[in-house]
Parts: sequence; structure tokens; C-alpha cells
Amino acid sequence: MITTNNNRSIEITLANQLGYEQVAMACSACFARLYGFSKARIEDLKTVVGEASVNAMQHGNKGRPDAKVTVSMKCDNETMIVQVVDEGGGIKKFPPKPDIEKIIEEEELITGFGLFLIKQLADQVEFKQVVDEGHTVKMTINMKEQV
Amino acid sequence: MQNKNEITLEKHGAVMLLDIEGDITAFSEPFLNDAYKNANDEGAGKILLKVGNGAYINSGGIAVLIQILAQTKRNNQNIGIAGLSDHFQKIFKMVGITKFASIHNTVEDGLEALSAG
Repeated sequence: MITTNNNRSIEITLANQLGYEQVAMACSACFARLYGFSKARIEDLKTVVGEASVNAMQHGNKGRPDAKVTVSMKCDNETMIVQVVDEGGGIKKFPPKPDIEKIIEEEELITGFGLFLIKQLADQVEFKQVVDEGHTVKMTINMKEQV
Repeated sequence: MQNKNEITLEKHGAVMLLDIEGDITAFSEPFLNDAYKNANDEGAGKILLKVGNGAYINSGGIAVLIQILAQTKRNNQNIGIAGLSDHFQKIFKMVGITKFASIHNTVEDGLEALSAG
């Protein structure tokens, strides 16, 4: 379900099924294009929306087929604020920054790339737990890439 | 919603080209592993992965690719990746994949570089 509000915002409710994150990614790209985001920033936005949605489905909602993921986006003149909400209890322990050399040598498990990409590509990231409402990842993407 | 990949193997001199059709996600693991095993069975010492134009690659797919890179390192094989958009070239550099695989704009560039290396 996609709801468009009149205050430069949009909300999408996704089934908790891998693959549906691409619906949110496509919506985010269309929405950002309306407000003049560059092609490079739209690609960054798509990646953070996709990764946060997959994390919400797999880790937040733990793959429960009856759960939902809500993606909301709000755009002002300079930034896109994306919130991805799941029904889980939040991140108990953040994975360390993945070290590819250790992973290749099998000294470290392959994990944490989704969160790593979100932190690298978004200009600001916040994690928030609200009782009875679920867990929210709030990401801000500036229209112009920081040099 | 599980994506499937069709992966075609083509031998170009000393280089085995793995032409990957479809998105690269965690669901790609069995397809990429099979293709890599087949390349190994053919005795490939140099491998070029071609990613489809506009393919969606997520962190699950990156993890699968890293598993392949780990195997190529253990087997002393050279590996390159071609066909990535500017965005995914940036992501692969960010993640560190470029330390273990060369990145080429086109298949032709990749074949030439790996053949010479």
C-alpha cells in the first residue's frame, strides 16, 4: 500500500517478504527524482532504503510472514528523510565494521554489510525503539553528496 | 520472490567468463557456487564475472561474491568483475572487494587485462 501525503511525504507498507524491498527502492527513486536529486544520490538512496528494508524483514521481523515493514519518506529542499519501521525489538548488539581481509581468511564471519552500507551512504543515521510501536531506522540523505 | 540466476560459462583463452544474468542477492549463492565449481572443474586460473546491466546487488549478494573471492584466493586464481555501474563500482571499493578482484568497465577490458596478467 502506498500513501501519498500533501506535505512532500510518502508512506509504503511492505509485506515481510524478501524482494519487496525493491518496491520501496523504486518508489524512493521516483520520489527523489521529483525533487531533483542527482542520479548518484538516487542510487545511494535506493541502496539505503533496500538495505534497511531487508534488515527490517530479516532481523527486525525475523522473517515472520504476518509482519509488516513501513517505509516513509519526506523531502524538503535539501534532504530526504527515510524512516524504516519494523515490529521487532531493535538491534541488541551492532555488528563490527566488516573487515574483508579477515573474512577472506575466514577469521571473521560475513556479516554487517547492510548496516555498513547504510552508515557509509546516508548522511545521518539514527536507531530508535518505541514501546508497542517497533524499531525505527531514520536515515537522512542530503540532496548534494558531501565531498 | 527468490531470484534465479542463469550463469553462462565461456572460455576466452586463459580466462573463464561467467556471464551472470539476474540480480545478485543471497538467493544467488547456489547458482554462483555451481558456476564457480564448473569453472574450477575446467581448470580456470583466471575468472571474469560479468554482472548484468542494471542488476540489483544487495549486501546478501555482496556476501556471496566475497565467498567466491575467498575461494579464488585459496585456489590462487585471478578474478575480475565487469559490467558494474558507477554506483556499484563505488560500493565494491567501499566494501574492499577491489582488494581481491580487479574491476573493469567492459568485458573486453576485463578479458584483455586478465589475459595479460
